[in-house]
Amino acid sequence: MKKYISPVICGFGAGVLQIVPLIKSFSCCLILPLAAFLSLLLDQKANKSKERIPMSKAVVFGLFTGLSAALFGSAFEILVTFITKQNDVILAFPEMQRMIEGFPVTPEIKKDVLNILHTVRYELMNYGFSWIYTFSILINGLIVNTVFGIVGGLIGAQVLNSKNKSSEV
Amino acid sequence: MPLWIRLLIVFTLLFWVAGIFLEWIIPLVPNSVLALPILQNAYSHVCHQQSHKLLGESVYHSLVCARCSGIYLGFFLVSIISLIWKLPSEPRVKYFLFAMLPMVADVFLYSIGIYSYSKILALFTGLLLGSTGFLYFYSALNKLFQEIKQKKK
Repeated sequence: MKKYISPVICGFGAGVLQIVPLIKSFSCCLILPLAAFLSLLLDQKANKSKERIPMSKAVVFGLFTGLSAALFGSAFEILVTFITKQNDVILAFPEMQRMIEGFPVTPEIKKDVLNILHTVRYELMNYGFSWIYTFSILINGLIVNTVFGIVGGLIGAQVLNSKNKSSEV
Repeated sequence: MPLWIRLLIVFTLLFWVAGIFLEWIIPLVPNSVLALPILQNAYSHVCHQQSHKLLGESVYHSLVCARCSGIYLGFFLVSIISLIWKLPSEPRVKYFLFAMLPMVADVFLYSIGIYSYSKILALFTGLLLGSTGFLYFYSALNKLFQEIKQKKK
């Protein structure tokens, strides 16, 4: 397990950057790929290795970075919401409501979407927790973060291998 | 790389890019509005989604900022090219750094107030990085398949 310490640390960092208010506004689609790249770089530095990184290793490191970012990020988000009873869903609700009202769709569909959002908002504001919201952020986080982690790991390994000029398979 | 893998990449990216522009799709497929809150949450993991940086002006907006939209569009466009054109197997690292330069410069210059945020500039600098980034992703994926083949032997 020790050899996967760098993806876990970088994933933790990326998870925090995705969640913490203010810092969150600087986050973008490059954070997770960069975290995966950094995990490979840290691993190379720790092992004082200049050998070519196998792509299978890059995939595993990217996967672990993404998984840890998703798990830590979701856990922090759930915890912060539980304590503060505030989050982006609550803040963005009026805007979201206006937006959905403006779409050219049937009133039934609008009602269904708004009912779900109302339920989530009510639960978050009153209990600081919502099963739908928790399930949604966990599943979304796991899928998106792992895919971005793997893509970042592959590109990162490619860049590091090019730099080391020993990338022949 | 087998054609079916390349097609899979193109279709995955097509769905991802279509999701970004979901608000424009809603009038054509009204039931897709049900996916809006879920997709908004999904894209929030990879973009700050600041309203003044989103593409679109009136009712419809992209679900990620102009720069991220550019990166994904770049990835998607070059993935289509990969279906008909042989991409370089070993792209040089300096191309990646050159492609990143305009984006870094744009972020730096508007951050220090030399000019105000431009969606067009953000889109194009993202597009440049995304399209170059795909070359590295594609090359790495090729090598991954070679490794798997070698292990099987």
